[in-house]
Amino acid sequence: MKTPLKAIITFIGPSIILLLIFMLIPIIVSLTLSFTDFNVFAIYNWSNASFIGFQNYINLMKDPLFWRALLNTLYALVVAMPLTIILALSFAALINREATYFKNFFKVSFYLPSITNTVAIAIVWSWMLNPDYGLINWFLGLLGIKGPNWLGDPAWAMPSVIMLVVWKAVGYNIILFIAGLQNIPDYLYEAAELDGASRFQQFLHVTIPSLRPTIFFVTVMTIIGYLQLFEEPYMLTGGGPLDSTLSIVLYLYRQGFRFFKLGYASSIAFVLFIMIFALTFIQMKVGKNIEA
Amino acid sequence: MKKRFTIFSILVLIVALGFGTTKITIWAMGEEAKSLDKLAQLFMEEYPEYEVNIQAIPWANAYDKILTGIAGRQVPDVAQMGTTWMAPFGSMGAFENLDPYVKNSKIVKEEAFFRGSWETGKVDGKLLGIPWYVDTRVLYYRTDLLSEVGCDHAPQDWDELYDVAKKLAQKGKYGITLYQPQDNYQILLPFVWQNGGDILDSKGNVIVDQPEFVEAFEYYTRFFTEKLAPLGGGGNLFQDFATGDTPMFFSGPWMVSMIREQIPQIEGKWNVALMPKKKTRTSFMGGSDLVIFKDSKNKEGAWKFIEFLSRPDIQVKWYQLVNSLPASIEAWNNPILQADPMIALFGEQLFDAKAPINRPEFQEISVSIDRRVEEAIYGRKTPEGAAKDLKKDIEKILR
Repeated sequence: MKTPLKAIITFIGPSIILLLIFMLIPIIVSLTLSFTDFNVFAIYNWSNASFIGFQNYINLMKDPLFWRALLNTLYALVVAMPLTIILALSFAALINREATYFKNFFKVSFYLPSITNTVAIAIVWSWMLNPDYGLINWFLGLLGIKGPNWLGDPAWAMPSVIMLVVWKAVGYNIILFIAGLQNIPDYLYEAAELDGASRFQQFLHVTIPSLRPTIFFVTVMTIIGYLQLFEEPYMLTGGGPLDSTLSIVLYLYRQGFRFFKLGYASSIAFVLFIMIFALTFIQMKVGKNIEA
Repeated sequence: MKKRFTIFSILVLIVALGFGTTKITIWAMGEEAKSLDKLAQLFMEEYPEYEVNIQAIPWANAYDKILTGIAGRQVPDVAQMGTTWMAPFGSMGAFENLDPYVKNSKIVKEEAFFRGSWETGKVDGKLLGIPWYVDTRVLYYRTDLLSEVGCDHAPQDWDELYDVAKKLAQKGKYGITLYQPQDNYQILLPFVWQNGGDILDSKGNVIVDQPEFVEAFEYYTRFFTEKLAPLGGGGNLFQDFATGDTPMFFSGPWMVSMIREQIPQIEGKWNVALMPKKKTRTSFMGGSDLVIFKDSKNKEGAWKFIEFLSRPDIQVKWYQLVNSLPASIEAWNNPILQADPMIALFGEQLFDAKAPINRPEFQEISVSIDRRVEEAIYGRKTPEGAAKDLKKDIEKILR
């Protein structure tokens, strides 16, 4: 039986319209803007903008701050992504054990950071990271270590930001992993146990292979999320000190909404879009090969 | 009968629209918006032909709200505009040029306001904003800790400030706080102005590599390289001031009441003083201006309201309502403003306070100042080298 056209429109029409208005049209407008010199004078009067071809992209390639922002973002990605996955998976496995009490309490506790307002989180963290009376350095002091000037030292500012984003992202991914873990049938573990596999061997050879789709999904989502790193450095450091926490989106925000160079900012956005698209595409290909 | 009634009601409607009140919509931010309603009531009593409608915008959303308002042409008649926002938003061309209005006004005159404050309303040479209230920075210092190191008065000039900071840092932790993670240029520029320097000269040439600028930059940097001032943000100003870790800092009038509320334990052990002198005692001028939008349909009423808010008696009332300092010089003659000696000192400093020139590129210039200053205070570059790079940055921005 063929589904009538009317039903198709009724069911998916609204979401297609929403997708058009809030996703596709903005993307097309932004792409168009990236070929113009749309700046502060054009916001009130669009006719002040003109097409300049690829000039924004050429300038971008010559912009040392853009490259700095790109490197910073990749640094955050390369450190934060594995940390997030390993931590989330370990905590999920621990919470999912039969022997664990207060499962829901742990789930909620780990999940709380992801639903708390980043502004509030950033204020609390900036106090915790304070070099003189912050909680973290006080704790390190108990162990006899003199903690660094976290947010004031260009070498430690990015690690501070990474700590915050990982702490924030772990909870959400724990929930995803727990859902994945609960889908693994018990008989696989029983069979492994009969074969004499240890707990750790079971984890390595039963849990991880069975979780592959979840791991794949989490990896894709965290990569996309971390490439768009913005709120945390914006609130904690504003990109400093010495541009050490300047991320791509933060730089885009600065160009677009501080300097109102919306044309230039759109070209940054588009480069980021292509990067995310390419990375996700590669992952899809690799993911498929592993499945097969 | 029915037809007559219809015609009659239409006539009534037309009369009501024609002779009724004219609406003036105003965007105001934060706490100010709530109290502004009280002034609007007074205004409507004096001018019953107008109906003032105040829309409160939280400070956190204000920047985006104004931006989208201008882009979408959904703007009020009048808006409050922070002085540092005059450059970016004023450059967009959405604000009415107020020069002709001032020419015909008996109340709003250039000489009625603090000089530096009047300048904040000019963008690229055009008058787009009228000062509403002002703030400026002065030196906050711990009287007890300073006298412990043998200084029984506030540091009067650059040398004294440096000496006292050094002695305080030897005795305690730091001498002074001179850094804020964002908009740090607001701390550096007063030193430059005190030394007779600036970013641009009157012809628009970049003069940040001139001796006046570099000398001030070197003076400022010394506090960090000699560890008299802490690097990096995240500290709590109140706590550090109360413990004496940073016994001096520069800040605006809002800190007077905040210190009294948050750290009452040091009451009587601190005071405020004018900026230290080099050639002058120039400080940073801030506050809020009032603007009229070009798209406003009721500019006459909007201007009447701005005139009303500029009146010295209303400026004093506004101070009583929200503690915002009057931009009108005459208002300061009122005993109410002289009652608190700390507030009165701000009145003195306001005569020697200025704001950076408002031009479209200023946001970008300010960010590059902050970057180059960081390079110097973190010891990556000498102040002279950083100033040279800054000159190149600014010339590139202005090109």
